[in-house]
Amino acid sequence: MQLDYFKAKKILDEYGIKSIESSYINSLKEAKDFCGKDRIVLKAISDKAIHKSKAGLVMLDVNQDSIESSYKELLKRAEKVKPYKIIAQKMSDKGIEIILGGRTDQQFGRFILLGLGGIYVEAFKDFALRLCPIDKFDANEMIDQLRSKNVITYKGKSTEMLITLLMKISKLLLEHEEVKELDLNPVIITENGYEIVDIRMIV
Amino acid sequence: MFMKSNNEFKNLEPMFKPKSVAIIGASRDPDKVGNIIMQNYINGGYSGDLYLVNKNADEINGMKSYKSILDVKKGVDLAVVAIPAKFVPQAIEECGKAKVKSIVVVSGGFAEVGEVELQNKMVEIADKYKIPLLGPNCLGVMDPRSRIDTLFLPTYKLSRASVGSVSFVAQSGAVGSTILDLISGEGFGLSKFISYGNAAQVDEVDILNYLMHDKETKVIVMYIEGIKRGKEFVELAKKITKIKPVVVLKAGRTEAGASAAKSHTASLAGSYKTHEAIFRQFGFTIASDLSELLYYAKIFASEPMPKGPNIAIITDGGGTGVLTADAIGSSKSMKLGTFSDDISKKLRKIMPVLVNIRNPLDLAGDADSKRYSDAITLLKDDESIDIIVVIALFQTPGADSRLAAELIRIKQLISKPMIVISIGSQYTEMHKIMMESGGLPVYDSPASAIESLSALYDYHRYLKH
Repeated sequence: MQLDYFKAKKILDEYGIKSIESSYINSLKEAKDFCGKDRIVLKAISDKAIHKSKAGLVMLDVNQDSIESSYKELLKRAEKVKPYKIIAQKMSDKGIEIILGGRTDQQFGRFILLGLGGIYVEAFKDFALRLCPIDKFDANEMIDQLRSKNVITYKGKSTEMLITLLMKISKLLLEHEEVKELDLNPVIITENGYEIVDIRMIV
Repeated sequence: MFMKSNNEFKNLEPMFKPKSVAIIGASRDPDKVGNIIMQNYINGGYSGDLYLVNKNADEINGMKSYKSILDVKKGVDLAVVAIPAKFVPQAIEECGKAKVKSIVVVSGGFAEVGEVELQNKMVEIADKYKIPLLGPNCLGVMDPRSRIDTLFLPTYKLSRASVGSVSFVAQSGAVGSTILDLISGEGFGLSKFISYGNAAQVDEVDILNYLMHDKETKVIVMYIEGIKRGKEFVELAKKITKIKPVVVLKAGRTEAGASAAKSHTASLAGSYKTHEAIFRQFGFTIASDLSELLYYAKIFASEPMPKGPNIAIITDGGGTGVLTADAIGSSKSMKLGTFSDDISKKLRKIMPVLVNIRNPLDLAGDADSKRYSDAITLLKDDESIDIIVVIALFQTPGADSRLAAELIRIKQLISKPMIVISIGSQYTEMHKIMMESGGLPVYDSPASAIESLSALYDYHRYLKH
């Protein structure tokens, strides 16, 4: 079962893993208030749709001018995946999309995953996997193993930050036995940091 | 709470170093597996006591035969069982009563054909008597030092490897025998061979545990299809590579693509990938096919750990030197080194004018053993060079057996890794055999040479971290 988005976000918070500012939206007014003068993203969340973008359930780059039509269109599309919830998020900065994840393997235990993310996950299948817990050497080797290493680390500038993030996630995966699967995809890597845009936790 | 470990009795020493062997199912019929195994012991030079057991014979080819192992009445360290599956549990029971120390069941007809109950029954009996049991449905074990050979493959079909330091573990008998045949053509020899088939009782964890402590084994090479006890394997994996290198080839690399019903992480992290992750994380060297398995075994068997990734290339062929530099350029770990100023000056003094002093060092097509020797002697002391790759093309006028002999000699004096690339057919092959017998690994392509060095260096990095 998929854990509620904000419960999942709270677990990430415990480990100092910050995810992008988000809120459930129950009306157009709430959406407008959340949006303010920013650009936001509107998403419909449902157990029936794992890959939200593919199902057309993500409206990107929404502002006060476009919010009414985007909101209404999203509600219409979400009809087929009922029951659903609408979530609004601030638009993240531009950057490279990566995937961070975890899964439980019957035989060996908890694995952590790092890869090129977003729409490239399946196209390139460029990822590294390790058994938890991982140490600094392992985290560095995971990054080093990727063909996209230079892209996702901005030629090494983000390496330290990624190592820290990987080690935090490894800790989370070991300490939260109830979390059977974790998908943070995409995580946007910018030159200055990261923003977790989507969280999927299976308990 | 005191708990007896499941593995406590699975000591494989009597399987490899038995003072006495009984062949249950020994036969005078040359078509029978039991006959081939018997012949291997008789002709293979095994010096311990050999007992033949066959319930229908008193004598086989002039040797005494016992109706049951219970009639032997002397200690038996290893019983090789080669009788039809349905009679095996009874034979194991008798082995238990006769206090046999280890058992190899080569017979098939168990879990692999759905006879799971028969297999479980057999294991239950072996467990009851606390006897380690290898197989069933396997080739068994071979140890060229103790001349133990339970393989039911005649020696004229499968050449037996010489004595050496590489141990080879294979779940599959077919892959096992292929590799074994190939190893016999390599310069490094064999320490132990183990084909464990259905892994009904003794499995890869027990085998690796034994080889980890085995002083005769310097390198472990394994072919596996699956791991039975994941958690125990991980605990062992953490220890074993700290002691000796393990090269692994895992079957099942390709898998059905990601299913839309799974999350990204779950579909990416399939079975091969999780195994591969474990191997990488704990310092195993992963081979992707049989020839890589042999390349890696060869380098680990003979070479010391490199201090760094910087390679010097010494060649008598310019083009092959460039190809090797290319192979280094496309490798993740290795680097083409730069000669130090001091060594460059010394090289300049002794090399002919037509030799440019740069890496790759092209000694020119007329290079003889002296020119190679001069260059290697200087570069072996160059601090900025960690590894020496010698390209010896035996098609050139100056290269002959004297060069091979000189390279073998100089190899003894050098503490850095040094390998040879020689590409060619019969004349080259002859010198390859000569150099490899002299402890100098020879590769037949720049790519295989550099990949092998890279595996060596990656293992070194793992050990150091």
